[in-house]
Amino acid sequence: MSDGNALIRDKTAIAGIGTTEYVRDIGRTEQETSLEVIHEALADAGLAATDVDAIFKVETPGEASISELAVARNLGLPNLRAWGGTDYGGGAACGPIVHAVMAIATGMASVAVAFRARNRGSGTRPWSKTGARVGSNMAFESPYGLVGPVQQLALVARRYMHEFGVTSEQFAQVSVTQRAHAARNPRAFFRDPITVEDVLASRMIADPLHLLDCSLETDGACAIIITSAERARDLKQMPVFISGASQGMGPRHYMMNGLMYKDDPFDMPPAYAAKDVYACAGMGPGDIDVAQFYDVFSPMVLWQLEAYGFCKPGEAGPFVEEGRIDWPAGELPVNTHGGSLSEAYVHGFNHVLEGVRQLRGTSTCQVENAEVALVAAAAVVPTSALILRR
Amino acid sequence: MTMLADRPLPEITPLTEPFWAAARERRLVMQRCDDCKAYRFPPEVGCYACSSMNSAWEPVSGRATLYTWTAAYPPLLPYFAERAPWPIAVVQLDEGPRLTTNIVDVPYEEYVFGMALQADFQQLDDEVALVVFRRAD
Repeated sequence: MSDGNALIRDKTAIAGIGTTEYVRDIGRTEQETSLEVIHEALADAGLAATDVDAIFKVETPGEASISELAVARNLGLPNLRAWGGTDYGGGAACGPIVHAVMAIATGMASVAVAFRARNRGSGTRPWSKTGARVGSNMAFESPYGLVGPVQQLALVARRYMHEFGVTSEQFAQVSVTQRAHAARNPRAFFRDPITVEDVLASRMIADPLHLLDCSLETDGACAIIITSAERARDLKQMPVFISGASQGMGPRHYMMNGLMYKDDPFDMPPAYAAKDVYACAGMGPGDIDVAQFYDVFSPMVLWQLEAYGFCKPGEAGPFVEEGRIDWPAGELPVNTHGGSLSEAYVHGFNHVLEGVRQLRGTSTCQVENAEVALVAAAAVVPTSALILRR
Repeated sequence: MTMLADRPLPEITPLTEPFWAAARERRLVMQRCDDCKAYRFPPEVGCYACSSMNSAWEPVSGRATLYTWTAAYPPLLPYFAERAPWPIAVVQLDEGPRLTTNIVDVPYEEYVFGMALQADFQQLDDEVALVVFRRAD
């Protein structure tokens, strides 16, 4: 990125956010919860549904998504000028917002909705629908029992432990820290404190990952309203400016198991998204006051701490163990809402909402005088990132 | 021969047929770029290293070392749940490419990084023979 920075940096803002409750079974369809959170986010911003002229959503391999047609019809929109889905599930936690920024900064649209609704508590696990015959790279994986994300990630985690001396205790500390943050958050699904010993004593899911190293499975939905910085200044909420926005895939990528085919499996997508998001914002790791990292499994937080430049490769284990991601004492509080490990699993959209709350000053683990927040999507799939500032 | 009908099986396409045809004959072959000689595994139409669309299939030694592994616990697909914990390995061929596989003759507790392995074949039905690995002599 070079010429694009002047077009994008601080030209757009998040003007509204909306969320459902986070529960095991929400009792409503994803289409219903999508519309609910979009209405809530519009009310938060002080905008009307008829102001919306762009919709950006998340796609996940193997899952049907809600069509922009249905959302636009049910919101009663007069016209939609820009729309599209961003693929790769948890890698798209920021992707739809990146696309909204492009549409608004270029003048193609004026008010965009980005949303994610997912009933993963009451619904089915995507891998459980694996058929009798499996195609693409998975033809060389599923027959051997490598079917679900947790097993795919466990293979990378074990190699990471071997190459860098990282321990299961250090993975566990991520879950422990985030649970302590969740304890203060009334929206969080799990709020009871846990210890490293609790994580290690929880049942094995994919060696070396235990149950408490894994994200929740919850129902929920989140929506975000993006508009121009200029317009946001006149709306109901204090604007949260989007200083940096990026996507990154890196070379020779597949989905989660793709890392195993690369010469260096730790050449991960976030390193690419990091370089561009910092360039776009004109900032570096030292400018970040608080970070929300996609955390479907605990090791992913360590890989993002390294990729986004908060420590060197292999040093995130001790970084976490020393309490440096803890609120309020750590130098970089991470996942101050509890994250996917304790608040809810909404494919990382709840992490964007927490980034916004930190800058509005309304987090339940509020970082004092937080001015800049980093929000990053999944580490092992094609990913995306945002730098937000107040 | 054990028939394992409820295990997910590979979809065999024109692109991947040479791999599976060789496996049925107990041979391990890899697709290789005709131009830059990079191995392509899993098979692809174009080369990740040089963008070439030319390739050929070449025999490889079947010698490999253990690169990483896990053991999968329920919830799993029924076939694997009934046999859990189910070990899964990634091995690196001496020629470079890595494969997901199962190691058939080593207890899970004895897995170590770099352990020397040799390819073997597990015939599942008339069409599919999986490439598995056992301890090298």
